[in-house]
Order: sequence, then structure tokens, then C-alpha cells
Amino acid sequence: MITVRIPTPLRTLTGGNEVNGATLREVIETLEKQHPGIKDRLLDEKGVRRFVNIYVGDEDARFLDGLETKLTAGTEISIVPAIAGG
Amino acid sequence: MSTSRADPLALPPLAAEPALAQKSALVVGAGGLGCPAALALVRAGVGRVVLADDDRVDETNLHRQILFSDADVGRDKLTAAVTALSRFAHAGQRVDAVRTRLLPDNARELVRDFDVVLEGADNFATKFLSADACHLEARPVVHGAAVRFRATVWCVTPGGQPCYRCLFEDIPSDDASQTCAEAGVMGPVVGLAGALMAELALDALLGSPRAGRLFSYDGLRDRLREVPVSPRSGCALCGDDPKISELRELCYIAPDCALGA
Repeated sequence: MITVRIPTPLRTLTGGNEVNGATLREVIETLEKQHPGIKDRLLDEKGVRRFVNIYVGDEDARFLDGLETKLTAGTEISIVPAIAGG
Repeated sequence: MSTSRADPLALPPLAAEPALAQKSALVVGAGGLGCPAALALVRAGVGRVVLADDDRVDETNLHRQILFSDADVGRDKLTAAVTALSRFAHAGQRVDAVRTRLLPDNARELVRDFDVVLEGADNFATKFLSADACHLEARPVVHGAAVRFRATVWCVTPGGQPCYRCLFEDIPSDDASQTCAEAGVMGPVVGLAGALMAELALDALLGSPRAGRLFSYDGLRDRLREVPVSPRSGCALCGDDPKISELRELCYIAPDCALGA
């Protein structure tokens, strides 16, 4: 089981935050099945959107294998979108 | 029993740090982040604290913008904020205001005058503009943002890497945004983020900035997380072949108060 830390701005699209998947891409596909619309918030045709960062553990997925980054059980994924407000 | 209010751990108070009295800070945005951040800087003894904003106090601000009270509703924020902050200033400390938003034609000149910039803007255009202006003027900048129960804070060194555009490349598009009014924001979460912004700014002023670390706070789980941010070689601002060498107005057009993703 992979824990995905979904930021509160995206929680309107999601309920839980634990999903299965061998790679980051699979986890996002699984999230999309559970919460239609979230994939479009995270990815565009080129990959992870330019104003979204996805961390696998403490590493930016961009500096790992991107969407093909392999995950192991217990991995924590954090989604860090650009936010403006205060 | 002692009646002393001194810190039992006898930590030297930052207010006693003489270096801070010689330093200046620009706080961009007198909102939920700027209010607590400015208050902390003034009370820490920063010699000159200047706020930049052009808004008026609204009733919906009061739960998080801690320098304002009911009586300030309708007043311009800067007058109210400077009045409130001045109550806490020591002799010799200056609290001032710049009655403008940060704009492409004034941003570089504005940030140039300060030892550190704290950016707590409610829109992406100002966030990217602050990042670009501070980079071009080699000023350290502390970025803060808070929406709903989440906040992010981090510091970029003078002219440094990684920068805001290493993390978020460009202004989010309209279709991926929602307004602050829709999203809302939790007062204590913003307050915590503002305090953390002040702490990072003080570190920068004292010569030891904690750069390259993104702090994110989740108010639903009461968890503060810290992750490294890596420089991006293709970054338009600080990468190997930077594209941004001046501030062009068209680069900062975006919906106000937008929330990415």
C-alpha cells in the first residue's frame, strides 16, 4: 500500500489517501479511477504539470524516474502544488 | 518563585542581536502572512520594516490578519498595519509603508533597497514577479503561501539556486485554478506560516539562510514537513541558460488569488 499525501486543496476531489501501485504513474491512474479529475490536475500531455511537484519520500519525482519511478510498500508520496493565498 | 519573564532556557533574545537593528525587510502583502511576519520582525528588532500593499481591510480578513480589528474594516491596510506595528517598535526602529502592489515597472527598484524580502502575496503574478525581481537584484526572498489547511514556506538566497521557478516553472493556467474565496483559509495555519517566514527571514538577515528546503504544513494532521528543493538546470530564471533578464509585463498576467492544481 502506498500512502499519498494529498494536499487539502485537492481533497475536494479525493476522500482517502492510500492506494496501490508499482509506479508513480500507476498510483495516479488508480487515484483517477477513484477520484475522476485528479489526474488532469496533476498531469498534462508532457507529464507532471509545471506548477505541481510530486515527491516520492523526500525526493522530487522529477529527479528520480518521473512517472515511471518505482514504489515500494509504505512509500509516501507528497503532492506539492503551487498555492497562492494568505 | 521568580517573577522574571526571562526565557528559562536563557536563550539570548534575538532582539538583543545588534546586527538586526541595521537590517531592513520588505513585506509584500499585508495579509494573513504579512501581518504575523511583520509583527515578528518588528519585535525581533529589525531596524526597518516596510509593508507593500494597496488593499483595504475587509471583514473577511479579520480571522487571520492579526494586525486589524473590527474598527479597521474599510480602512486602507497600510495605515492600519503601520499604526498597529508602531506600538511594538523600539526607539530607532522604523515601520513604513509603500502604497502599491509590486508591479513589473517598480519591482526591481523596490526590492533593491532591502536586505530581505518576504513575499506573502495572494496571487501568482506577484509571487513570480517577486521571485524574478529578487533574483535579478540578488536579494534573498522568503516565499509563503497558505490555502485551506495547507501552507508552504521557503527561502531563496540572493541570486540563488534553487529559485521559485525551479519549483514552480510558470504561472498556473486559469483552468487549473480556483479562487481563494472558493478555497478559504484557516487562520492559525496562515499565522504559523507567517511566523515561519519571519524566522527564515531572520536567518537570512543574520547571514545563515536556510535555503533549498521547502517547509509545508498540513493543518489537518498538524504535521510540518521539510523536503529538499533541487536546482533545475533548465530553469528560466537561474538555470544554465536563463531566459529572464528583465521584468516584462506580459509575463505576469494571471487571475488574482489563484490556486494551482
